[in-house]
Amino acid sequence: MSEPNLIRDPFNRIIAIAGNTFREAIRDRVLYNLIVFVLLIVACAILLGDLTNGQEARTIVNIGLNAILIFGVFIAIFVGVGLVSKEIEKRTVYAIFSKPVRRGEFIVGKYLGLCLTLLVNVLIMGAGVSLALLFVGNRSLPIIIWGAVFLIFLELAITTAVAILFSSFSSPALSALLTFLVFIIGHLSASLRELSVGLGSNVTTFILEVIYYVMPNLALFSFRTEAANSMVPTGAMIGGAFAYALVYNAILLTITVAIFSRRNFK
Amino acid sequence: MPSNRKVSVLTAILIVTTPLVYILSNFTSANRVTLSEAYEDSDLDLQGRRLKGFALGSEGLLADWYWMRSLQYIGDKLVKNEMETINIEDLQPLNPRLLYPLLDNATDLDSKFIGAYSYGAVVLPAIDPSLAVKLAEKGIANNPESWRLYQYLGYIHWRNKDYELASATYERGSYIAGAPSFMREMAAAMKNKGGSRNTARLMYQQIFDDAQDEQSRRNAELRLMQLAALDELDVINSIVRSFQEKSGRCPTSLKEILAQLSAKSPPGGIEFHMNAAPELTDPTGVPYLLNQNTCGAVIDAAKSRIPPN
Repeated sequence: MSEPNLIRDPFNRIIAIAGNTFREAIRDRVLYNLIVFVLLIVACAILLGDLTNGQEARTIVNIGLNAILIFGVFIAIFVGVGLVSKEIEKRTVYAIFSKPVRRGEFIVGKYLGLCLTLLVNVLIMGAGVSLALLFVGNRSLPIIIWGAVFLIFLELAITTAVAILFSSFSSPALSALLTFLVFIIGHLSASLRELSVGLGSNVTTFILEVIYYVMPNLALFSFRTEAANSMVPTGAMIGGAFAYALVYNAILLTITVAIFSRRNFK
Repeated sequence: MPSNRKVSVLTAILIVTTPLVYILSNFTSANRVTLSEAYEDSDLDLQGRRLKGFALGSEGLLADWYWMRSLQYIGDKLVKNEMETINIEDLQPLNPRLLYPLLDNATDLDSKFIGAYSYGAVVLPAIDPSLAVKLAEKGIANNPESWRLYQYLGYIHWRNKDYELASATYERGSYIAGAPSFMREMAAAMKNKGGSRNTARLMYQQIFDDAQDEQSRRNAELRLMQLAALDELDVINSIVRSFQEKSGRCPTSLKEILAQLSAKSPPGGIEFHMNAAPELTDPTGVPYLLNQNTCGAVIDAAKSRIPPN
């Protein structure tokens, strides 16, 4: 990529920031979590046969997919909340904005960079789970799980967007806490909404209805238990979840850019 | 403090404290207040159906947790029991009252967990047949497309000697797309000769071939061995009787009738089992005993893995 092109094309600038964010994450040894994950999966593959009475394949899927999500959420939260604040703290943000880079491009580039890191992480972990399943002699689940793995990535992409949004106006510690709470509420909102129907209180029902639609509905991306039972998400489900993630991320990033654009770095 | 001296002091501290960790760890462990023996039978704190939807999408993982607990629960009961033999047909003396709640929780959290229904169908009838039926019916309600669950329910009814209901269950299962032809065969066999040994053999062979968990497979294998032993004993005892009629006495040991046995074999073309002695053995390799009081060959219940009834 030549320098003049980079300057002229906003898309190239975003790609450049994303690439740098990815490289920085690698330098920060974010992918070291893969070592822990590999140890976990290898232990599962070797030990679960005796513990699960022949159900080791489904248990490997359950442990593996949940570990992918948990590791991914930790990366999304703890790296995500530092993406913007670190640049401000180290004052590298001045160097960046002294060049022809818009604040929106900076946010989107940072976001895509972390998403790329998460994608690599999720792909390697997914491959690890597939290999463990092959090791225990299962031939179908190593392929079946990839629908659920993709949905986990979409969930992580939303969590990252939430983390960046909070970090655009709050301290890293508070942003991490708030993002974690959104992650929890995002998973519970559908169940709370169902629960509210039985409570009979209109106010509660209204509040939970608002939470259901305002908070990210992360239950839409939960397909781990189903995958362990050899179920495959339909095209409509994957397509709907992808579109939902796309739209929700666009909203979150728009708000983030709006807040970040007004921020004074002095 | 000079550097060398500092290193020596630190090394000395490490040498003294490291064994202390070992000693203190063992001391604390030995003096820990232990839970009462009844703890393992404490009622479950959580109900799977209430937990569902509030586990951040990890219901399957929790179901696996309850599943493993149910296996360990029964395993612990078997290991700790002081009975000389365990009758796999009747596990009530072990009082495994939490098995159903554990499997119920596992299947509440993951209603598609066929392995848990299968395990329940094999083990629960030996504890409480009504709970076995309840779990299998729950499985069918949650997985109406699974013919295998009808097979398990039919098996439970058959064990309860309710051959009509077993036949009807197999027949219902045989209509499900993908159900193998033996479901229809079993429906007919249940109706016509539900209590026969051949029906039992067919039943346990199917369970052995299709079992999704090791426990069910092992149980079915033992049952098949038991049926083979019963066939063998029928032939052996008929020869013992004819020996007694001809000689007017009971054989002193089964070795005395080995020559006559070589001319006969149990039904189904099965060969008799012999050890190096040579003695007639059951399918698990334990020699049959000759009861001089009844003048009949029997399984050595104290040594054989074959269940007593």
